[in-house]
Formats: sequence, C-alpha cells, structure tokens
Amino acid sequence: MKKTIRVIGIVTSFLIMGSMLFAAGAQEKAPQKESKVMEEKVALYASITAIEPILAAFQKDTGILAENTRLSTSNFATTVLTEFQAGKLAADVVQAPLPVMEILKQYGVIKDYFSPAAQSYAEWTRNNGGIYQFGIEYVALIYNTELVKAADVPKRYEDLTLPKWKNKIVMANPGNHATTISWLVGLKENNVFGSDAKWMEFLTGLAANNPMFVASFGPTPAPIESGEKLIGISMPKYIITKAPAPLAWAQVEQPLLGSPRAIGITASAPHPNAAEAFMEYWLSDKAMSLLANDVGEYVLTPGVFPPIDGIDKAKVIPIRDLSDEELLKWGAEFEKIFKL
Amino acid sequence: MVKNRQSKLTYLLIVILALLTLSPVVMLVIGSFSKGLNTFGDFTLAKYISVYTDPSFYAVLGNTLIFVLFSALFSTILALFLAYLNNRTNIPGKFMFKVISVVPMMIPHVLFAVSWALLLNPSNGILNLLLMNIFRLENAPFNIYSIRGMIMVEGLLDLPIAYLIIAPAMASFDISLEESSRVFGAGNMKTLFRITLPVLRPAILAAFILCVVRCLASFAVPSVLGMPGRTYVLATYIYRTVTTGFIADYGKAAAVGMSILILSISLIYVYRYMTRSSEKYVTVSSRGFKPVVIELKKARIPLFVILLIFSFILIMLPILVLLYTSFVPYSMVPSVKAFTSMNLDHWKNVLNDPVSLSSLKNSLFLCIVGASLGTLLSIFISYVIVKVKNKASGILESLSFLSFSFPGIVIGIGFMWFFVRTPLYATIWALLIGYIATYLPYGIRPMTSAFIQIHSHLEESSTVCGASFLTTIRRIVIPLLIPGIVSGWILMATMFFRELSLSVVLSRPGTETMAVQILKFSNDGLWGRLSALGIIMIGISVLLVITANLVGNHFKPETN
Repeated sequence: MKKTIRVIGIVTSFLIMGSMLFAAGAQEKAPQKESKVMEEKVALYASITAIEPILAAFQKDTGILAENTRLSTSNFATTVLTEFQAGKLAADVVQAPLPVMEILKQYGVIKDYFSPAAQSYAEWTRNNGGIYQFGIEYVALIYNTELVKAADVPKRYEDLTLPKWKNKIVMANPGNHATTISWLVGLKENNVFGSDAKWMEFLTGLAANNPMFVASFGPTPAPIESGEKLIGISMPKYIITKAPAPLAWAQVEQPLLGSPRAIGITASAPHPNAAEAFMEYWLSDKAMSLLANDVGEYVLTPGVFPPIDGIDKAKVIPIRDLSDEELLKWGAEFEKIFKL
Repeated sequence: MVKNRQSKLTYLLIVILALLTLSPVVMLVIGSFSKGLNTFGDFTLAKYISVYTDPSFYAVLGNTLIFVLFSALFSTILALFLAYLNNRTNIPGKFMFKVISVVPMMIPHVLFAVSWALLLNPSNGILNLLLMNIFRLENAPFNIYSIRGMIMVEGLLDLPIAYLIIAPAMASFDISLEESSRVFGAGNMKTLFRITLPVLRPAILAAFILCVVRCLASFAVPSVLGMPGRTYVLATYIYRTVTTGFIADYGKAAAVGMSILILSISLIYVYRYMTRSSEKYVTVSSRGFKPVVIELKKARIPLFVILLIFSFILIMLPILVLLYTSFVPYSMVPSVKAFTSMNLDHWKNVLNDPVSLSSLKNSLFLCIVGASLGTLLSIFISYVIVKVKNKASGILESLSFLSFSFPGIVIGIGFMWFFVRTPLYATIWALLIGYIATYLPYGIRPMTSAFIQIHSHLEESSTVCGASFLTTIRRIVIPLLIPGIVSGWILMATMFFRELSLSVVLSRPGTETMAVQILKFSNDGLWGRLSALGIIMIGISVLLVITANLVGNHFKPETN
C-alpha cells in the first residue's frame, strides 16, 4: 500500500512538475519572442467569422503572422476581461460588436490610438477613442430562390406577416439573441413602419406565423437552403459564403439595419507595433474589399460593397447600441409576444 | 495496518481530486455570490433570487425532469437489451453490434442532432416525406422538434455510456447463479428478471445515474431540437441567461448550475445507499466463474434482423446523412440534382486546412494521453470507492462528479477563472487537466461496477501468498477488471476526442481541438465541411475503439 501511495505521489508530482516546467519554459521564451515577435506576430481576438483570407493576405504582404482566436459575442467580454484583469491578455487587437468594445473601453482594455487609414471613413465611425467602426452586421430577409416565386418575394418587412409564410420562417431566438433583439428594437426606433402601433402589428403578425427559432444567425441559412423553411431573418453575407446555395435577399423598400462592428488595439498588447500594422491593414481598402468580396460583409469603406445583387443601392443603417438592461427588458417583452 | 494504508490512499486521492475538480467549482460558487461579472466581488444573493424567483424557471424544471428521466431510461433499457444480446446470447454479428453500440459516443452531438432534424423535421424531413409518400399521409407523422424527439435523440447519444457500464458487468456474470435458478425450474425470462437483472443492479443504476447527469448537462440536443420547438430545459435556460446581453453573467448561470449540482450529488448518495451491500453483487469470486452463452434457438435470426434494422435506422442512418451532406455543395434534400452535384470540395477544404490538421493532432494527443492518465487515476479511485467504503470514500465519489455535473458552458468558465491564475493558462496542459477532472466519472463508473463484482477473497488470497498490494492489483485485480478498464478508456477517449465545452473556452491558436474546428464551421453555417470533419472524427474514433477492444482481449484472463 505504501508503495502504491508513493507511486501515485510520484506520478502526480511528475504531472504537476511537467506542466509547470512546460509553462515556465513557455514563459521563459516569451521575453525573447516579444522582442522578435513585435515584428513577427500579432494576436487577434475576433467575433467575426471567416476572416482567414484577410489574415493570409496580411501575412503575405507584411510577413507578420496573424493568429486569430474566435470568441462568440456572448463569451467575448467575459474572456477578455478575465484575462486582462489577471494580466494574461494575449490579444493585441480585439474585434467585436460596438457595444462589447465600449464595455472593454470602460474597463481600460482598449488603448487610444489614431489610425491614419480610418481617416477615409465617415466621421461617425471614428469618434470613440481607439475604437474604429468598419462594418455593419446587416440583417435582411433571405429566401430560397428555387422555392419562392419572384412575385412572392417580400417587398416590405410587413409582407412577412402574410398567412402564406405561416410555418415557413426561420429566425434567431428574439428572446435572447442580442443582434435580433437590437434589430427588432431598431425597426421601432428608426420608425421603419411609420408608427409604434404598426411596428407592434408587424411583431404580432410575425409571431402568428409561428417562425422556427434557432440559437443565432449561424444556423439560419441551412433550413432555407434545404427547403425546410422558405425564408428567414438572416444575414445577406451567407449568399456569398454559402454559394452555390439558392439564396437571395428580399430587396425591401425599407432600409436594412444592423449592429456596427468595431476594432481596436489593446492597452496591454504584447506586440504593439505589429498590432498597429494590423489595424492599418484591416482598415485599408484592400482588406475591406477582401471582407466584402470573400466574406460578404457590409463594410464602411466608401465605395466598397459585397458582390450581392442590389446591395450597393440598399440603405444600410447602424442601429443604436442597447445596454444589457435594455436587451433583457426587450428580450422579456419579445418572449411574451412570440410566446417563448 | 491495512486500514491505515487504505485511509492514507483515500486522503491522498481526495487531495488530488479536490485540486482537480474543486478549483473550478469553487470559482463558480464564489462567482454566483459575487456582485459584478467576474469571480470576485461584494457578496450578494441577487443572482440566486433572480433565478429562483423567475416563474418560467419552474416550467423549465418540469421539462427538464421529463427530458432527463425518459432519456436516461431509454438509454439504459436499450443498453441493457444490447448488452444482454451481445454478451450473453449466441446472436450473430456480435462485434459489429458492439462497435455500433458505442458509435453515437463518437459523433459530435450537434451533428447527430442536425442529422435527425434533416431526417424527421415536419416540413421536409427525409423519413417523414418517405412515410407520407408510402402511406399517403397529409401531414408529417413525426416532429423531431418536440420533447419526444429530444428524448429519442438524447437517449441514443447516451446509449454508449449506459452500454459501456452495463456490458462489462454482463460479461463477468457467474453461470452458477443462473444455473441454480434453472435447477429450481425457472425459465430464461424468469431467470433474467429474478436473478440476472437484480444482480446487475449496481451497473444498471450506475448507467442510469450517469445518463441522468449527462442529460442534465446536455446542450446540443436541447439547442438544436428543443429551441425550434420552444421546449426549454435547464441547459438552454442557462444559455438564455448567459447570452441575453453583451456581457454574460456566468455567476448567474452558476447559480442555476447549483441546482443541477445538488441533484447530481444527491443521486450519487442514492446510488451508494442502494448498492451499500456490495457483497450481494459479487459474481467473480475465488470459486472461478464462467459466463454462459444462452442459446436463442428460433429467436436468433429474428432478433438479429431486429437489431440490424434498429442499428441501421437509429444509428447508421444519421451517419449516412452526414456522409451525404459532406458531398453535396449545400444543404439539399436527396434528389437527382443533389446526387449529380456531389463533389469532394468540402473534403478537400478540410484536408488542406492547416488548422484542421493541427487540431486533429492536438485532439489525438489529448484523447490518448488524457484517457490513459484518467483511466489510471480511475482505477485507484474506484478501488477506494468500492473496497474502502467509508465516509471519506463517499466524499471521493462526490468529488469525482463535481465538475461533471455542471453544464458544459458553465464549467468551462469555471476552469478559465481558475487556470488564468496559473501558468498553465492557454496551454494544452490546461485542456488535459480540465478534461480529466471533468470526465473522470466516465472512467470511474465502469470500473466501480466491475470492482463490485470481484470478491475480496481474491485479493486476500494473493496477500496471504505474500504478494504486495501493488502486485495484487497488477496480477489479480487489473486482469479481472479489463472489461471495465477498456470501457472506461473508450468512454474517456471518445469523449476527449470530441470535447467542446472546455476546449472552446481554453483553447488558443496552436491548441485548437477538432471540436473547436467543428464549432467554427458551425458558426459559419458550413455544414458540408462540418460533416466531413465529423466523419473523420467518427472514423478515427472507430479505430480507437477497435484497438482498445483488441488490446483488452489480449490482456483478458482465460475464463474457461
């Protein structure tokens, strides 16, 4: 028995020591790397998906390796703040929806930075210290082109309340999906329907059509492509990323709305020079064209549009940031309306 | 003297386990009582009050109980049926059924749920359309987006857990118990219900409880199938709590998780109470044992066909859907157009993606090394739980369930809050330790069931003959435990290979795992690539399971 206890003790000590040595080794290497890596590597934490083409182009053009950690919007602030407060934030650059970036700014995570590349953007995109808005997470009605006749394609958002769409709609859960809640509130605040009463009519009509709810925008296109549902409240970028799927967006008369996407350099960036190089590259026409062309994103660089029919003529409006209290309040309200 | 040494071993294991499992849970407990969004803040009960006074919470609790109890019951009964046919009868194709029984363990749960949605959604589910055409029905006969659909899919996903716990116990069954029953005139069925099943009670209960705990923490099925049907359970309730708003309040989520934790710990004590007289379940003693094969006679072929159809429809069909999805350019219902547009683009994308390849390497490392270390630790812990059986061993058993009982989305944050204070943060070792700490019950459960069946006379005989404790374990106990060890290793390895909850929070560039890649494809809606990667994962897992079984058979002692 003594021997057993000794064996367990030795194995455990070995494991702990091994882990410590590995970690210590990694720490020892860090300062050496830091001086070199300043020019060789940049670490990005991003909520936006499918950005590999930009990272590859950045590496090709500058020789700096860009490593991306994808964090979901719901995990973003928690992860970054936990690391930042423990002095372990590895990110040089962070990219998230504007409200998340503003929260990080409050906690001192984002550093003030002047970006020459951002000067070609509209002024409202760069009035927030080191936070730069570069795109809009635009939301639209996406439909299956093989199953929806041209005459049936909605011309206004209200058309979604017609009985013909009953059991044929998919959307993210309006009770908790922050972007969907913000979008629905944005329709009201931007007076898209002309009055609050009409906005409420739209909501109740949409709820009456019994839409299928999924966790986020990610799972919305699959049921539309397969014909399980015919139309959805989703993102036009899927027309590009899911090609050749039979998807198109309903070119409604009203504006498209979406949450602004933003980017900034962290105050504790381990690679500050590489971080600045990356920021400038990200905000350049070249990177934004890649984002528009390869990923279908709506970017704020003047004159750059995703290759989606009619998007260049669409009016795309950034919606107001809702606070978490407002999101909770409206989420509870939509739960009642949609009988969640 | 022996007792003293056993106590020392128990306390040493308690220290190791407490370090492994208590740290993240303590962080979560502190977080649930702290103001603000991080671990430490001023004391508050607001998070508990807000959760437990929410009227919708109790409706969710009701759904959860139905979902969890019926899913666990479904898995356990199915596993019992399969384990009985595979281990005790002369049914043909045993090896094939053995592998098929554990296949759902290898499939990323989100993919399995999506496959079922493609098969049985009420709008254009492939099976629904087929049945509507055959029987000229106006409406789809099945709706997978319902609590019944959730129970079926979750039950199938947890089948391997129950099977891998029950099968080793079934394999070590002593013929003499059943023979005695037959001598007294009982038939096969009576012997099964009066002798076989009661003796297997520890394994059946262990399987049921583990399935209950797993269902409580399950997220993929409630999210993919429950949310569209507006059926919420605790895991999706936590998700809703966490995701409404831009800053997730994990302290509040942990407050919900506490009720799951208390339920799980209570279940462990119920289990300990119900199996307290462990000598009743001993089937391997110094008298020797020889499992008997029951002749199915005329029922052999019909049962084989039933099992074949069952395996095909419930387990293989969703995998075929995945295979199909990996070849079509986008989500399409099978048609001439779909079959003519099939190509290898998704496979080429996955196989040429350096991150996918490096994640494959990381996952293989975590799965083989992690499962082996976890199994080793489980052997000692199971020994103490079964053979020492004092209050401290009860603590040890509860500790082993601590991290496991929390829903994945919460425990991942607990580990992050803990590891960020150590030099291990953002290394592959954090993942390794986190995996072992969280999924230890997968190693311990099959092994405790197997330990219970081994009479202490065997160890005592060895000690009397002069063997040391370690020699007894190595020469007597471990060879008899081989089926349990193989089951534990397979459960851990397949789990580690597709683990997502911890990986998504703790992995960073260079330490990505397969499941993180799967999630990335899922976030982008790239179901084709996701399916291709899923098939690769299933293929590798099948190889691991076959290898583990072969190694197990090699070391298994001769019973005849």
